[in-house]
Amino acid sequence: MDFLVSSFVSALRLIGSLSPDVRDAVRTSLSVSAGATAFAALLGIPLGLLVGLSEFPLKRLVVTLLNTLMGVPTVVVGLVVYGFLSRQGPLGILGLLFTPTAIVIGGTLLAAPIVANYALASVRGADPRIVPTALTLGAGRFRAVGTLIGEIRFGILAAVIAGFGRVVSEIGVAMMLGGNIRGYTRTMTTAIALETSKGEFAFGMALGIVLMMVALIVNLFLNLLQQR
Amino acid sequence: MYRLRSIRKRYGSIVALDIEELTIAEGRLYTLTGANGAGKSTLLNILAFLAPPTSGEIFYAGKRVDWKRDSVEAYRRKVTLLHQSPYLFGGSVHENVAFGLKIRGIQGEEQRRIVDRALDGVGLQGFRGRKARELSGGEAQRVAMARALALNPEVLLLDEPLANIDRETTGLLETVIASLPSQGTTVVMTTHDPAHLGLLNGESIFLEGGRVVPPPPDPGVSSTREQAEA
Repeated sequence: MDFLVSSFVSALRLIGSLSPDVRDAVRTSLSVSAGATAFAALLGIPLGLLVGLSEFPLKRLVVTLLNTLMGVPTVVVGLVVYGFLSRQGPLGILGLLFTPTAIVIGGTLLAAPIVANYALASVRGADPRIVPTALTLGAGRFRAVGTLIGEIRFGILAAVIAGFGRVVSEIGVAMMLGGNIRGYTRTMTTAIALETSKGEFAFGMALGIVLMMVALIVNLFLNLLQQR
Repeated sequence: MYRLRSIRKRYGSIVALDIEELTIAEGRLYTLTGANGAGKSTLLNILAFLAPPTSGEIFYAGKRVDWKRDSVEAYRRKVTLLHQSPYLFGGSVHENVAFGLKIRGIQGEEQRRIVDRALDGVGLQGFRGRKARELSGGEAQRVAMARALALNPEVLLLDEPLANIDRETTGLLETVIASLPSQGTTVVMTTHDPAHLGLLNGESIFLEGGRVVPPPPDPGVSSTREQAEA
């Protein structure tokens, strides 16, 4: 028990002193997560809206596929992207493997299905009277859809936040595609895994506390939005 | 205003509407009655240009409706449908009433003046800044009516506008609705309440199984000029 208490105290000291290693890992985590979330939003929101608002053959299959992609293990996403970005892979020439960009690509693929599913759920849960009301007040088709998006904007925002939560807390993609390079691609999650395995439990705990705080803030924000 | 010829609307194998001939004259008030499933809402949706019929022809103001997107959108700016449980957008009462005005490019002081006048007309003076989602059911119904009236539509279609609201609001909306034909607006209103037929002094269209049939005898109601084809 003393071990846990003393580690916790040391972890708080590390956070308080803004240790460069802690700072770098937090900065890298937040920046690659923000980048991946932005791209995931650009892909996932239109995809979710398109699937939710249109009727087409195999729609059910597409929805099932999106649901399945939400649950894909992060190491599988890491593995697939690794295959593309590795030197022998089709995109190996770009030299992106073990860079923050590689983590952003993997994070985007990880978060996009989540954003799409949340956006789709928002459309499905939207009041069915929104579009007919807009149409009968003289809105064109696009304006009516714009009105619908405006009405479900908190659901869309929740989709983006959920995507961020997924990316910031994952380890498989960051480890496989980033390579855990200190001060460059080392994220909070990869740093926790590495430092703990080296016996630096207090350091891992410090990052764990920061990660938990980020997750807590994200979820508080998400709950706040869902109540609106 | 409308002329319907051989209009049919099918949902799969179900024929929801089957009207051989129906004329709706300009500047008149019609009450549309019939049992649940008689086709009232289907007819209103077609008249509102929200859903095309499966077959048949509709003439609006003497012109055949081709159901192309551009022309349908143009018709929708002349015809407004008010649902039984109207949807109010998030935001203020003003934003709701001004919704259609913005689409028509009416902004600024003119928009504000029209919104105020529409709210006055339904007894909601001073409600402009209120949040739409915080209104009572009757107030929401009146805001929806103001939102429709603000557009000064050629045709106002009302789906059970007097259902589920308090007596005070009912009386007020009846007065508003009854005054519309004298201002040149054609009104088609569905109702289940026989009392409304007489009160509103309208003509009756009676639907049964998707067909227009002669209305049952009612001393308080003038008979429709439109008769179902045999």
